[in-house]
Amino acid sequence: MLGNVVRVAAVAASGGGGRLGSSAAGAMLTSRTFLKRTRAGAVVKVVREHYLRDDIPCGAAACRLCGARPAGAGLEARPAGAASHLCPGPHYLLPDTNLLLHQIDILEDPVIKNVIVLQTVLQEVRNRSAPVYKRVRDMIANPEKHFYSFTNEHHRETYIEQEQGENSNDRNDRAIRVAVKWYNEHLKKMKNEENIQVIFLTNDRNNKEKALEEGITAYTCEEYIKSLMANPDLVDRLACISDEGKEIESGKIFFPEHLPLSKLQQGIKSGIYLQGTYRASRDNYLEATVWVHGDAEENKEIIIQGLKHLNRAVHEDIVAVELLAKDEWVAPSSVVLQDDSQNEDDIENEEEKENILKASVNKNMLRPTGKVVGIIKRNWRPFCGMLSKSQIKEARRHLFTPADRRIPRIRIETRQADTLEGQRIIVAIDGWPRNSRYPNGHFVKNLGNAGDKETETEVLLLEHDVPHQPFSQAVLSFLPKMPWSITEKDMKYREDLRQLCVCSVDPPGCTDIDDALHCRELENGNLEVGVHIADVSHFIRPGNALDEESAKRGTTVYLCEKRIDMVPELLSSNLCSLRSNVDRLAFSCIWEMNHKAEILKTRFTKSVINSKASLTYAEAQMRIDSAGMNDDVTTSLRGLNKLAKILKKKRIDNGALTLSSPEVRFHMDSETHDPIDLQTKELKETNSMVEEFMLLANISVAQKIYDEFSEFALLRKHPAPPPSNYDILVKAAKSKNLEIKTDSAKALAESLDKAESPAFPYLNTLLRILTTRCMMQAVYFCSGMDNDFHHYGLASPIYTHFTSPIRRYADIIVHRLLAVAIGADSTYPELTDKHKLADLCKNLNYRHKMAQYAQRASVAFHTQLFFKTKGEVNEDAYILFVRKNAIVVLIPKYGLEGTVFFEEKDKTKPRLDYNSEVPSLTVEDTTFRIFDKVKVNIMLDASNIQHQKIRMVLVEPKIPGKDVPANPTTEASVSNEPEKKKKKLQK
Amino acid sequence: MAAMAMRLPVARKAVRQSAAPGGEKHLVAPGDIITTDTGYMRGHGTYVDEEKLIASVAGAVERVNKLVYVKALKTRYNGEVGDIVVGRITEVQQKRWKVETNSRLDSVLLLSSMNLPGGELRRRSAEDELAMRDYLQEGDLISAEVQSVFSDGAVSLHTRSLKYGKLGQGVLVQVSPSLVKRQKTHFHDLPCGASVILGNNGFIWIYPTPEQKDEEAGGFTTNLEPVPLSDREVISRLRNCIVALVTQKLMLFDTSILYCYEASLPHQIKDILKPEVMEEIVLETRQRLLDLEG
Amino acid sequence: MAALELLSDEGYRADGRRAAELRKVRARMGVFAQADGSAYIEQGNTKALAVVYGPHEMRGSRSKALHDRALVNCQYSMATFSTSERKRRPHGDRKSSEMTLHLKQTFEAAILTQLYPRSQIDIYVQILQADGGNYCACVNAATLAVIDAGIPMRDYVCASSAGFVEDTPLADLSYIEEASGGPQVALALLPTSEQIALLEMNSRLHEDHLEEVIEAASKACKAVHAVLDQVVRDHVQEVTALLGD
Repeated sequence: MLGNVVRVAAVAASGGGGRLGSSAAGAMLTSRTFLKRTRAGAVVKVVREHYLRDDIPCGAAACRLCGARPAGAGLEARPAGAASHLCPGPHYLLPDTNLLLHQIDILEDPVIKNVIVLQTVLQEVRNRSAPVYKRVRDMIANPEKHFYSFTNEHHRETYIEQEQGENSNDRNDRAIRVAVKWYNEHLKKMKNEENIQVIFLTNDRNNKEKALEEGITAYTCEEYIKSLMANPDLVDRLACISDEGKEIESGKIFFPEHLPLSKLQQGIKSGIYLQGTYRASRDNYLEATVWVHGDAEENKEIIIQGLKHLNRAVHEDIVAVELLAKDEWVAPSSVVLQDDSQNEDDIENEEEKENILKASVNKNMLRPTGKVVGIIKRNWRPFCGMLSKSQIKEARRHLFTPADRRIPRIRIETRQADTLEGQRIIVAIDGWPRNSRYPNGHFVKNLGNAGDKETETEVLLLEHDVPHQPFSQAVLSFLPKMPWSITEKDMKYREDLRQLCVCSVDPPGCTDIDDALHCRELENGNLEVGVHIADVSHFIRPGNALDEESAKRGTTVYLCEKRIDMVPELLSSNLCSLRSNVDRLAFSCIWEMNHKAEILKTRFTKSVINSKASLTYAEAQMRIDSAGMNDDVTTSLRGLNKLAKILKKKRIDNGALTLSSPEVRFHMDSETHDPIDLQTKELKETNSMVEEFMLLANISVAQKIYDEFSEFALLRKHPAPPPSNYDILVKAAKSKNLEIKTDSAKALAESLDKAESPAFPYLNTLLRILTTRCMMQAVYFCSGMDNDFHHYGLASPIYTHFTSPIRRYADIIVHRLLAVAIGADSTYPELTDKHKLADLCKNLNYRHKMAQYAQRASVAFHTQLFFKTKGEVNEDAYILFVRKNAIVVLIPKYGLEGTVFFEEKDKTKPRLDYNSEVPSLTVEDTTFRIFDKVKVNIMLDASNIQHQKIRMVLVEPKIPGKDVPANPTTEASVSNEPEKKKKKLQK
Repeated sequence: MAAMAMRLPVARKAVRQSAAPGGEKHLVAPGDIITTDTGYMRGHGTYVDEEKLIASVAGAVERVNKLVYVKALKTRYNGEVGDIVVGRITEVQQKRWKVETNSRLDSVLLLSSMNLPGGELRRRSAEDELAMRDYLQEGDLISAEVQSVFSDGAVSLHTRSLKYGKLGQGVLVQVSPSLVKRQKTHFHDLPCGASVILGNNGFIWIYPTPEQKDEEAGGFTTNLEPVPLSDREVISRLRNCIVALVTQKLMLFDTSILYCYEASLPHQIKDILKPEVMEEIVLETRQRLLDLEG
Repeated sequence: MAALELLSDEGYRADGRRAAELRKVRARMGVFAQADGSAYIEQGNTKALAVVYGPHEMRGSRSKALHDRALVNCQYSMATFSTSERKRRPHGDRKSSEMTLHLKQTFEAAILTQLYPRSQIDIYVQILQADGGNYCACVNAATLAVIDAGIPMRDYVCASSAGFVEDTPLADLSYIEEASGGPQVALALLPTSEQIALLEMNSRLHEDHLEEVIEAASKACKAVHAVLDQVVRDHVQEVTALLGD
């Protein structure tokens, strides 16, 4: 089809006579010309082609004018949306950009259907907010919602050119109106009995007026939502965006103005401002740090103090900061401050608190300090939390307190405050005007009663972004059909190892057994050791919904009473679980070793195994120890144990670290699932036996896949921590007259081994706990994107994860790589795309981190439940850290950590003297140092239902003048915050 | 201040086959299958692949008995014995000159195939070889006749007639060889007062009509006397007319040139090259030629 | 700002084309009288001019002459004003020498060089405006110029590029699509026989996708062929009509 040429530029050489080929069917050509400034500062003219088409469908199901129906649901022929008294007839909605950006929560409500999203709008949304864009995309993809995206910029009749003197925003607004008009005319032509109307939704007054002038039915979002007859509660979810600052409840301006983006960019370019990620302090709402982007060595981390300087930045925002003069620099305060004022205009109080921060600053501790001058990108997400109901009766405005303390309180407007009180709810921020102490937001969703186990679990899963919805039908459809059995085809690339005496050793109650072992003596006197890992990649084929879902989840999350599976249960607890006495598919790593545990030969193969026994650590230990037992499984175990000991010694000689972190385990009531007892985990020799072989398998596999795929092997590294991380450890040890060397992993390991004190047996464990806190996080990475592979903690030059494919997605990828490497499976495109692999690593690292946090939060919650039933107890504790106004203690019995404060409002403040050199804190006449043994009183403080706390009160040594247990002067909090808690070294 | 004529390109009018006298020609483009019949002989512009005769150039299919060939719209000059060519000396070698004749390979003019001064037929001596550059040197133009064609397509020339030889004062126009019509004679003294040599190779030489024919021919000396202005004007006009004819793809021969010359007379010489004038005068020429035929 | 979306979920590319659609191709043969063959082509905003001289006697050192076929001599260049930033491009910079070499390989495969032993064919191409697919525009322009010169060829050589975005092959990449850094295939095809004259690939592409990308590119080549063929036929028709008999 040779289309008509709209504008043919006169071409000097040819003098015209052009013809359109079989190019864009029915397309006309126009070009967009714009000026652009290059990096070097030159202004260049850019000309881009722009084809206009007449084959873009309007998306209405009843339309016969448009030829090709688009894929997907499209708009309903008889739009039966919610009845509205403003527009009773059938109608489609067409929102503008700002509406989509701000009122996305409303649009996501199932009531709103049949919405046309213009390409112009979609593009603008995409440029302005990636999360909203994703949500819009999801809605378009959802067949229930009947959202349709219309490519108006390429439609012959809806494309418009920017006019002289018109800025691009006005042009886009006009483009939207043109599209609305076109739709209305187009739908009229359908000659349907239904006279469908398109309703333009905009909150921009100007735009609405212009639209009405042009004869377009236009409403603001508020008008439309309020007109919906059946759904009055939707109004609560309207974002309160005040375009002309209509809420001037207090004339006071709290904050300096934000600079416009263009100025910020200029400033960043010229170095006046620094761009960075804003991280609010968890302990102190008046303090934050900004991590400056880029590679600059100095001023990497900038401290921001005081409300005015924080200037409405919210945790995780990308901000521009201006450094203050050196004489205004401050030190990171060790004070813990919480924003708990009820009166929101209580500025004096604020200033007083700010002064606390500035007092008594050590000159050496001064750090670069700055103030936020503008926000480059907001990173707001919906927040979980609770409503703090306004004291004023019938008030519609209430404050919302997020569960995450780094997020400021949010003011929302709701009529259901009474119902929402005491509930966990989700709220989204809409904006933060200068004259408001708190950001404005709107209610999104109610999760349930606070304190309920289900609600709290839901909250902690949501807060840690753990995908926990049940698996969808699409995902489940890729599961193998039951009853399942091994077929000929499955055996094609597999070895039959069913005759081997394989057994598994796991913690009690484990249903997802992903590893099993065997060991036997060969005829030549050497030992054959096999590690057999569940062959999950056999069931999860690349690219299908099941694979995508697992990749998204990244890891199985273990909470105290619940497991959020990465793969559906059929796989995790049945087909992939290497249970005893059933045939299971496995991926085996088999070594030939001599008795000195030196590897002579390594091979990998897919296999079929039949485990002879599923043991717990204790059972395995018992078999090894009881001389009477000499069956195959036991001899196998003994062989393994012997080798494992040699391997471990070798590893430690190489400089691997043995670190410690207190892990607790709850004994649950079998009916109520409430924790009834709490115990720290005990490690047996067999734990380390299994671990040793898993490490060995991981290292062997890492080497193999790296040899085969040097560019896209998925590996795991653990960077060495910067020496300054060890400062606190060295100081602490010194105070106990011990020396810790930190110049290499080996030196560290050795000095830790030597650091014993006969009078204080627990000291070594404490030191190891402290060392763990100094470590960096281990991460997954793609070998083609990095060149430092070293695993510091394990002292291995290369490492990966291979042994737990049921619960970690990284292992599935490693399985696939290894399968390709040995020719047992075919490769697929994403597997050999290092950028996709790097993206995957990013997600996996994020999910792992979040899973850890969720896990800790769950432990914390259960600890609270435990103490709720248990009441008050007095326990021994050790000081882990000393802060300016508090001490952090660890209670070994429960593996519990908490902060003991020495200041409290409404009380005379005790005399505090903090010495950062030792570090030590002297309260009145008692001096606290790291590792000091104290006795604390533990109880649950449920006064704040949102943040139920474990209060810790010092019992011994007594601080003079304080009446301790009856009226606690000191309090501790174990809140459900993850980061501060054990930063467990992930192997 | 002298006004300057500014000309802007205009959209080219596509020449439709308003009067396509050729009727239904079999036109092909490279890669087109001409025939799958194996009974044909393969000619120029074709090749055989899997027993199919396929065109390798764009043009019209011509058939001569069993021979099938494709005549390309324009090609380099393909020499044939007896052709009259105009060429330029590019190189002086032992006993021969290399001549650029718009052919695929340079043509050869052997020392032995030319008339030397002083005697029609005499042995070529060593002195002659040394004096070759005195006769013809690089850049000289000659007219000649094709004596023979080598297997690789290169052409050997001779100037053994008084009509041929070194060319003196005049104007050279290069056109596509396919536009030069084959005729009995390619030397024309036009009644307008100038002469042309229509080389078969597409080199066209326009020069003032010599006064005494006999003496000048075959000489190696150039007449350096100034050509009168009137002659020069005629030559210029002829040159532009030929360019006009070529642009409009009209065959070149004495009548067409003459008609075009006459048609151009109302215009100034420099205006002839304006597209609209070219079109006008060529159309007139075409009409007259048709009248002549009909 | 989010990176440019090369292929929207609705299936439209940044300039409004669908994945398999070409940009608008316009071409003209015989733009210069003094050359043996010449052609001008526009593929979207990419504009190229090709000029062919020959076959003629060897120029320069005669020792380069091949006794059994003609030597194809190519030269690729870009006008200083061809990109949005004006830039001097000295001859023989790495990119243009590579392009020159590719053109030479392409046309040695297509021209029936054995018909003209010991001679030389010059193909000069220049990019007047660069907007992606420079190589392809050059090949297409040069094909027309060679046909215009009446030099025998096995077939047209048509070239088109193809990329791979969002698991979909895109035909005929524009500059912004090329600049995104994804895999990119340039294919020069003899359309009738579907023989490949040249295949070049940048960046990494999984072998499973290669076939569909090449398929997209060769479809695009055939579409280009249809356009070029029409140009050639119109040209031939026009000239023969003018010539009369």
